[in-house]
Amino acid sequence: MTSIGTGYDLAVSTYSPDGRLFQVEYAEKAVDNSGTAIAIRTKDGVIIAVEKIVSTVLEIPGSSRRIFPIDHHIGFGSSGWVPDIKRLIGIARDEAWEHRKSYQMPIPPKMLADRVALYIQAYTLYSSLRPFGASPMMAGMHGDEPYLYLFETSGAYYGYWGCATGKAKQLAKTEIEKLDLSNLSTRDAVKEAARIIHTVHDDSKDRLFELEMSWVCKESEGKFTRVPQDLYNEAVEYAKHSNNDDMDDDEEL
Amino acid sequence: MIAMTEAAAKQNNRWEPYVDNGGTSLAIAGEDFCIIASDTRQSEGYSINTRYDSKLHRDSFNFRTEKISLATTGYSADAKNKHDKEMHSHSIAQMISIIQYQKRFFPYYVFPILGGLDQEGKGCVYSYDPVGNMERVGFQVYGSASGLIQPFLDSQVGFKNQQNVDKTRLLSKQEAYDIAIDSFTGATERDIYTGDFLEVYIIDKDGIKKEVRQLKFD
Amino acid sequence: MNSTEILNLKNQDVTENGTYKHTLQPIVTGTSVLGLKYKDGIMLAADCIASYGSLARFRNVQRLHPVGKATILAGSGDMSDFQHVQNLLEGVMLQEHCFDDEQEIGTKSIYKILSNVMYSRRTKVDPLWNKFIVAGIENGESFLGYVDLYGTTYQSPVIATGFGSHIAIPILRKYAEPRASDLTEAEASEILDNCMRVLYYRDARSFNKIQKAKVTSAGIEITEPYSLSTNWDFAESIRGYGA
Repeated sequence: MTSIGTGYDLAVSTYSPDGRLFQVEYAEKAVDNSGTAIAIRTKDGVIIAVEKIVSTVLEIPGSSRRIFPIDHHIGFGSSGWVPDIKRLIGIARDEAWEHRKSYQMPIPPKMLADRVALYIQAYTLYSSLRPFGASPMMAGMHGDEPYLYLFETSGAYYGYWGCATGKAKQLAKTEIEKLDLSNLSTRDAVKEAARIIHTVHDDSKDRLFELEMSWVCKESEGKFTRVPQDLYNEAVEYAKHSNNDDMDDDEEL
Repeated sequence: MIAMTEAAAKQNNRWEPYVDNGGTSLAIAGEDFCIIASDTRQSEGYSINTRYDSKLHRDSFNFRTEKISLATTGYSADAKNKHDKEMHSHSIAQMISIIQYQKRFFPYYVFPILGGLDQEGKGCVYSYDPVGNMERVGFQVYGSASGLIQPFLDSQVGFKNQQNVDKTRLLSKQEAYDIAIDSFTGATERDIYTGDFLEVYIIDKDGIKKEVRQLKFD
Repeated sequence: MNSTEILNLKNQDVTENGTYKHTLQPIVTGTSVLGLKYKDGIMLAADCIASYGSLARFRNVQRLHPVGKATILAGSGDMSDFQHVQNLLEGVMLQEHCFDDEQEIGTKSIYKILSNVMYSRRTKVDPLWNKFIVAGIENGESFLGYVDLYGTTYQSPVIATGFGSHIAIPILRKYAEPRASDLTEAEASEILDNCMRVLYYRDARSFNKIQKAKVTSAGIEITEPYSLSTNWDFAESIRGYGA
């Protein structure tokens, strides 16, 4: 404690002399410990892919998912503390539903993002509170227009063409940057997303993981749903294949 | 009858929460069997809602609106789980009574008849009023045609109006079955709320046999 | 109950003496809805009017409401209660969506939820003043059920609410019920049109702008509102009613 925080990290309501909020940064560290989550936005949709790290073979496949639908047209992908995320999921669902009830209209992603961010930010103001150890990404549609946001632990959020959080966010971001996002089809984006998660997964640290993928796009009729099983399988096949190619390349070198 | 008329309800500035959907159920206990029968017509006023709405829930109820779902005939799935053995008829009978009495001041407007076999394998029939008064009887009929069928059963099952007969005699299975059928075919002629189909459950040591018969469609 | 406590009961209608106010009569109402089973599924019909007493108040109201991909809720009775039920079911469907299990809640479950709601409200002596028809297809089987403000439920190959239970049911029982399994879509459609036409002639709260809906294995289809042809020539020969 003495070495880094020097006493300015005891409460989130205290700034350090150089203007930092240590608690918020620690929360970010918590996020960086969790499995990688990425999202890619294309012309007509958004795809979220999560590397759910499985700690034991005894865990039931498909349980405790890390991608959460919020409304028919909006979903969250997550990294960080799962219980913290679930709190935010609850908030987001309530907000989305209240909007629907009040206006007979799905909440615009932008509006929901603002409200969730406000909520996260409020947890950085009081000494009695702990900032969320979560950095969720939000995918949604407003009419035909896809939207993607990533929330930081401070409550700041930005819109993205592609984003990543968790363990391998740097590597994943580099991979996403290589893609030609303005021309990529959503189906191809699914494959690339699967590939990237497989690429950045570190076998030596975490033996087991599950790839979760959900999307909201034209093909899913504007609904945030799981990627259809056949496309999922195809994407995994593609991911494994391209990774093997990489390995072959390495050997050649 | 418990139900106030619509007009009386309006005068009391209160909505009348009960409706009478008609229908008739009866049960006859024998030495080692029990027969329960009920028509399947559901009505409201002069309209028939549907021709097939079962009033037998592996036991017999009457008056639809408030249907308490209890499974019985000497067997209750829920109860079985709790006690790890089949529930006795008299226990189910008591349970029904308690469920009804719990709503003593806003009663379930149902006249349940419970039929099955008792612990000794003898046929048994329990009859109730809507608030849980319970009595074990030899036979019972409730519902819109009870006024037509009751005297018939009193005579043919209870031998009430007969002289020089053994009034304790129990009917054979065939006799009881025939009387149950005749009761309904007769009632259907005169009661507009009884008709369409007749469901009959015959319960004996081998289990429950269900039968569906046509009644008049008019 | 003191005044503060009364004020705190925001959502309940409370009178000055602290008693609750409950619905004793419907206000803006929709008249009959009809439903029948046919070869390929279920077909429903309703007109587009919501009346305020005898006033034809709203003349472009949709009373056939889709719930999910294979269920339709047709509502007669109080329209605000109907809309409340629509919202309620929308919430249920959204909750189901959030389970993310790639399953959608089926017609029978929707029917069960609705009848539980209706019965619990009648038990509070604060009913939702409606008669509903729930129709849909689940596991390839067509379903047509009724539930009303008493929580009374039944299923039947033909169902009509309100005035329709007197006027349309005899027609439906004659032409639709005996042939439910081999009735074609065109025939079903014609029978319903005829029922709606007869209702329009006789039910003063009805309207000749109607909608039909069908649920088949291909999903839901709700028609645009359209007008029924009518013939009032016979009125010429009627004397003594002001003409």
